[in-house]
Amino acid sequence: MKIKDAEIITLMQDPRTQDKGVRALMDAYQSRLYWHIRRIIVDGDLAQDTLQDTFIKAYQNFHQFKNDSQLYTWLYRIATNEALQQVNKMKKMQKTDEDPEYYMQNLVADNMEGDAEEIQILLQKAIQSLPEKQKLVFMMRYYDDLPYEEISKIVDMSVGTLKTNYHYAKQKIEEYIKENYEK
Amino acid sequence: MKEFDIEKLERKNIYKVPDHVFENIQDRVMHDVKPARKAPIFKMNWAYAAAASLALIFGATFVFNSDDTPATNVGNSKGIYAENKNEPKTESEIAYETLKSDVISVDDNDQDSDIQDTKTDSYAQQSGEKVKAAPVKAVSKKEEKQVNEYLDSFSNSEISELASNSTQDVYLDLYN
Repeated sequence: MKIKDAEIITLMQDPRTQDKGVRALMDAYQSRLYWHIRRIIVDGDLAQDTLQDTFIKAYQNFHQFKNDSQLYTWLYRIATNEALQQVNKMKKMQKTDEDPEYYMQNLVADNMEGDAEEIQILLQKAIQSLPEKQKLVFMMRYYDDLPYEEISKIVDMSVGTLKTNYHYAKQKIEEYIKENYEK
Repeated sequence: MKEFDIEKLERKNIYKVPDHVFENIQDRVMHDVKPARKAPIFKMNWAYAAAASLALIFGATFVFNSDDTPATNVGNSKGIYAENKNEPKTESEIAYETLKSDVISVDDNDQDSDIQDTKTDSYAQQSGEKVKAAPVKAVSKKEEKQVNEYLDSFSNSEISELASNSTQDVYLDLYN
């Protein structure tokens, strides 16, 4: 039986049951958050580290969580911030003459499954060619199917701006795939 | 490719995922979280720390001094014992004390009528016993002052004369 957010919150708020609460929180959200982080960072090891940091931060700052927002919205916000920080570190560490977009697309090629479909690989490469905000909005809407209202709380953008960003992101991705698809 | 709609594309994760990835993450998180909770760091404001140090110093000083007080008394105890010894009193001293107790007993009689105790005390004092005159202790400072003023107005010879009379009176009261 899947544990509800209310139960996780109750467990996390009591110091005696906090361990159990962290376990329940991870069981409930580790998969969704992992894939959210992984699509931003791409690198598997760094994604693991980032997810670990996300849960630790959630544990340490749980007193700041307010019940007026959804638990997953709060967790997505932490995960997104941690992932973007990690991407910035990666970009600083890369060679100066290397194009960041090209670097991320190479990372996609290095991390994909051997039997991945070409169209799926192109889709991931197209996502990595997007500006940061468009990338985030597109991934949360397309893969996680989050409502615009919730995405708005995660990335601090208005719903109108989010819709515009999603529209442009989708257009760019489709064009990229059309141009690069060989079959 | 002429027509393409990504909305119709299947949502797939194409990245390689290591085995037991979530178990490893959970173990690492629990490992990082538990020690931090088991060993909380006690942080104290410097002002509180300073206040606590001062309290400790003054407290220790107070305790040390309070331990010294009995020792000082021990040093003086000889004097106290010397005072407490019932050395033979001179006649004028006895007379003075008797008169003093008589005057107080008269005052007490005016206020409440417990004569018997006063007489017993007076007798006890006169007979050289260690019993202290309870009424003398009980009187207020104001009364004591009045008595002293009253007694100061007498010369030594007058006091001796009055004392001899009062002693007789006491005996009379007791044995009549």
